[in-house]
Amino acid sequence: MFEKLINESAAKSPWLFHINAGSCNGCDIELVSVLTPRFDAERLGFKLTGSPRHADIVVVTGPVTKQSLPRVLRAISQVPDPKCIVTMGSCPQSGNVFKGSYSVCAPLSQYVPVDVDIAGCAPRPQAVIEGLALATKILKEKREQK
Amino acid sequence: MELPFIKEAVSQLFSKTSCEMYPAVPSEAAPRYRGRIKYDADKCIGCGMCQRVCSGGAITMDKEEVEDGTKITLTFNLGSCTFCNTCADFCSTKSIELTGDYHMIATKEEDLIVTGTHVKPKPVKKAPPAAAPAAKTEAPTAPAVAARDDGKPVQDPSKCVYCTICAKKCPQGALEVDRANKVWKCNYDDCVACGNCANVCPKKAIVC
Repeated sequence: MFEKLINESAAKSPWLFHINAGSCNGCDIELVSVLTPRFDAERLGFKLTGSPRHADIVVVTGPVTKQSLPRVLRAISQVPDPKCIVTMGSCPQSGNVFKGSYSVCAPLSQYVPVDVDIAGCAPRPQAVIEGLALATKILKEKREQK
Repeated sequence: MELPFIKEAVSQLFSKTSCEMYPAVPSEAAPRYRGRIKYDADKCIGCGMCQRVCSGGAITMDKEEVEDGTKITLTFNLGSCTFCNTCADFCSTKSIELTGDYHMIATKEEDLIVTGTHVKPKPVKKAPPAAAPAAKTEAPTAPAVAARDDGKPVQDPSKCVYCTICAKKCPQGALEVDRANKVWKCNYDDCVACGNCANVCPKKAIVC
């Protein structure tokens, strides 16, 4: 009984955990601007959390450097299931201009299943909101399947 | 008892929100925003300049020999793009355009691929008569042309795609290229033999 209640309320307010995997800070700034009063993602229920154990959606920015890869994977593995992994910007999808560097492990999708890609360099805050809304939908489907 | 700011608090309750209510109120990108790439394959001449200048390595060109020419497929991977507009700047036929569409949300890789195909007809075997300029230079049907002894450029009609990049890069304005009529002309009196045209030629069709 409680589980159903928890599931329904959790679907309305997915918590975000943001991982910077060697990003240039462009995408991070755009993600922060999504949470500021101007775009106010909190009116859609999103809340930035400081711990991966509280998160539903993981947002990864940056080209996944060699140093950050084990930390990224450890943080993602601490997120309870069902979770949704969102890559933001071109870097985690392909490596972008850092492609081929000795210290870059992109794309992220070869290590963990990525659910949503938000393309752009950096994406607009509106695109980020759109991507997060899609992630919420995917999360809800995953919860129902469970 | 005095309640501070009560006037502001009440008036804020009834004032308009300062948020951009994005999903409910649609938002247009600013003018000249660089978003999703639009590629017009019919205008493309397949010179490969976009691919060479792309910093993210987002552009790939596939060539396939078909009956009536070469089938050229250009693929833009938006997941690897920096949206820097350099490909569009360098495109001599303006076949690439970065639009204001910023909705680039993908759940699978194919959503971020922009592609286009065109067939480039085989070069005409007989060189157009106007392509032979001033002197001794042109050997119309030969695959490679002989270089002049003064270091000035000579065009190889079998390789040239008439993309006009050489004419744009000529510091003296000595080159005249007409894409429509496939004419390449060099005014050898103005030419200073700098070699810029041969360096920028994507097809290495200029000998000097």
